Amino acid sequence: MEYIQGIAILIGINLIAVLGLSILTGFTGLFSFGHGGFMAIGAYISAIVTARLHLPFALAIVAGAASAGLVSIFIGRLTLKLKGDYFCIATMGFGEAVRVILNNIDYVGGARGWESLPQLTSIWVVLGLDIAAVIVAWNLINSRHGRNMVAVREEELAAQMAGIDVYGHKMIALVVSAAMAGIAGALMANYIQFIRPTMFNMAKSTDLTIMVIFGGLGSISGSIVGTFLLVSLPELFRNFAQWRLVIYGLAVVVIMVGRPKGVMGGFELTPSGVRRSMAARRARLALEAEARALEREGAA
Amino acid sequence: MNQFLQQLVNGLSIGSIYALMAVGYSLVYSIMNFSNFAHGSVIMLGAYFGFFALTLAGLPFALAFFVAACCAAGVAVLLERLAYKPLRDRHAPFLYFIITAMGASIFIDNSVIATIGPTPKTFPSELLPSFLQSGAIRIGHVDVGRIDLAMFAITVVCLVALVLFIDFTRLGKAIQATAYNMKASALMGINPGFVIILVFAIGGALAGVAGVLYGMKYQVFPQMSAITLKSFIAAVFGGLGSLPGAMLGSLLLALIETFVSGYLSTQYRDLFSFIILIAMLVIRPSGIMGKTAEDKA
Amino acid sequence: MSAVLELKGLTKRFGGLAAVNDVSFAVREGGISGLIGPNGAGKTTIFNLITGVYKVSGGTIEFRGLPVQNKEPFQIAGLGITRTFQNIRLFKELSVFDNVLTACHASAKYGLAEAILRLPRFRREEKALHEKAASLLEIMGLQDRVDVTANNLPYGLQRRLEITRALALDPKLLLLDEPAAGMNPDETEQLMRLIAEVRSRFELSVLVIEHHMDLIMGVCEHIHVLSFGCTLADGTPDEVANDPKVVEAYLGAEEAKK
Repeated sequence: MEYIQGIAILIGINLIAVLGLSILTGFTGLFSFGHGGFMAIGAYISAIVTARLHLPFALAIVAGAASAGLVSIFIGRLTLKLKGDYFCIATMGFGEAVRVILNNIDYVGGARGWESLPQLTSIWVVLGLDIAAVIVAWNLINSRHGRNMVAVREEELAAQMAGIDVYGHKMIALVVSAAMAGIAGALMANYIQFIRPTMFNMAKSTDLTIMVIFGGLGSISGSIVGTFLLVSLPELFRNFAQWRLVIYGLAVVVIMVGRPKGVMGGFELTPSGVRRSMAARRARLALEAEARALEREGAA
Repeated sequence: MNQFLQQLVNGLSIGSIYALMAVGYSLVYSIMNFSNFAHGSVIMLGAYFGFFALTLAGLPFALAFFVAACCAAGVAVLLERLAYKPLRDRHAPFLYFIITAMGASIFIDNSVIATIGPTPKTFPSELLPSFLQSGAIRIGHVDVGRIDLAMFAITVVCLVALVLFIDFTRLGKAIQATAYNMKASALMGINPGFVIILVFAIGGALAGVAGVLYGMKYQVFPQMSAITLKSFIAAVFGGLGSLPGAMLGSLLLALIETFVSGYLSTQYRDLFSFIILIAMLVIRPSGIMGKTAEDKA
Repeated sequence: MSAVLELKGLTKRFGGLAAVNDVSFAVREGGISGLIGPNGAGKTTIFNLITGVYKVSGGTIEFRGLPVQNKEPFQIAGLGITRTFQNIRLFKELSVFDNVLTACHASAKYGLAEAILRLPRFRREEKALHEKAASLLEIMGLQDRVDVTANNLPYGLQRRLEITRALALDPKLLLLDEPAAGMNPDETEQLMRLIAEVRSRFELSVLVIEHHMDLIMGVCEHIHVLSFGCTLADGTPDEVANDPKVVEAYLGAEEAKK
């Protein structure tokens, strides 16, 4: 029971970061190699607030989210108006930079890490924040802001012509995703009670991205499914740990080449989501039937 | 003064490695207008190919280099055909390419860890040519590492060959034309598919050589692919898509890193490359030698 | 006669080449103007300059009296100029309805917080957006296809959807870049009527780039002819059709002598 609760908490913590990344990558189409860095900021700020300043956990979480968000604004201002490649490279560099900086600050444990952090993350805290995160993500996506982000992903130039402030919306996506990663980091620090810069390196960033991809770009329920799968699977297949990533890597390539919409096919596992996917299918079939009828008419 | 010259030499040798990596990346970028984020894995494989060609197959040093370059080129082309071409044919958005590159990179890196193992391998000095075996030679007042000299020389040879190829051969001009405008070149009878394969092969070959050099100077290990970040930064520094820019950016980046490392502290060396990146993005995103381009409707 | 759009001495240089060279013309308020010329004459470049995709090298662009050159594209769209593209740029993976709904965003004013907290203002304005999108689609005859993924629409309907999307921003000037490309004479005829209807119904002005002469002659009241970035002729369809310079550019010097 302890064990299952442990996994549930890990799923819950990662879910918040994955939802944020889903908004950034799945819905807005921006790829970040460095969200581990934002998690690290959240984790370390939370550690400082709880272990050194002895302030309440809620404050630590907020501080972690805010710090990560602020740093993301800085990165966004420098790169979001440039071509996508620059943003990717900058996030890669950012992730590394955070690691190097943390490695050299003895106040937070340096490369060896920081032990004996207070255990403050309970299953209820995680559950509560998860529900909040899902609601926030869902409400954001299903609003004009969310639709604009999707437009940016689909056709940036056309989005501009439709009056959408592309830079502004990319920034919203970045800051929200960074803040959510920060929250996840804070929860992680005060659950595992131990943090170390290598825990938040590029491998962590790509792990989160893989969870988004497996669930399917552009689907919140997909991200939830993806997180469930990818946090619980390694526990089940402990013996094959080495091959886990080999399979993930291959799976990512196969998914992108074959079915980029992933498990959920870009639709949501909700009543309205199912209705929409069925409606789209019906509409497509109707169109095809029409086309065939026209052909027959022409031949007659 | 001695220390300054030592650092200079060190910087130039690291700069050579960066240059080979950055040029390979920039070459693909200039044609395809996309960043091959799996580049690092090709570099890493090149190092392993070279290592095994030397140790297992017992090939002579120069041949081992050649084999590494060819195999790395092969991997790069395979990557292009299997992962990128299907996406290109479907006019997939830019994002899909990055994700696929990431997946390929994870697949390759972890395959190596799972099969060959994560422990680093060192190039045994007995198998290196004799003139590389003893440590340093003296030029004036400075001890210059023989390996560093060799690396610099090999890099110069490769890059000069590349420049000659691109500027003076028909194939090279075909590459230039395609980089400028793929559709127009296709109309002129240049087969874009062939140019793409050629460019990936050259980029891969350069990556292979870079991998072997890096492996010689340091060690060969699966996480080597992370070094590719330096090549991206160097390419941005010099100007994304510009080959002279990639060379210049790499040299400058390596020199700055080495001097920071030598005179300030090794800890902050990697941080400095990030600072340079930020500085470039603030001051001049198109890089030292880059041109600003505008989107076409 | 007031001009909704006025270009004065507009110039755009790429390196040493002047893609657009000292071009001046005006689109009358409520009018339909055409911009024609051989390929590479600079027509789409002018559209890109008007919509802020390119920065001008010289000259001014005035929209309803205000200079708009070098503004951000989304600002210009917000001011009332929208466009369609030569290679259709729909939001391909979205449904027909979502394509238009997304473009309606400017008609709502609720902010992020109101959206996330689902406050009453959000609910009200969202409902209005949905109604606006539905009514636009009905006017443009796409109401039976609202659930189709944009990518799956037949070509002609994709063009119509693009125009619908452009109308969602309540523009005062609609720029159409080769809307009849790939259409047969019947479809072109339909498109002509659609453009005229859109102009009166939505009380806007239209500037069309086209190669299909039937469309241009049939629906435009004023035509501006470009060649190699320079103005060749400007006037009514009759004036332009009989201008020897235009005939020469299109049909060769022999024809012009006739």
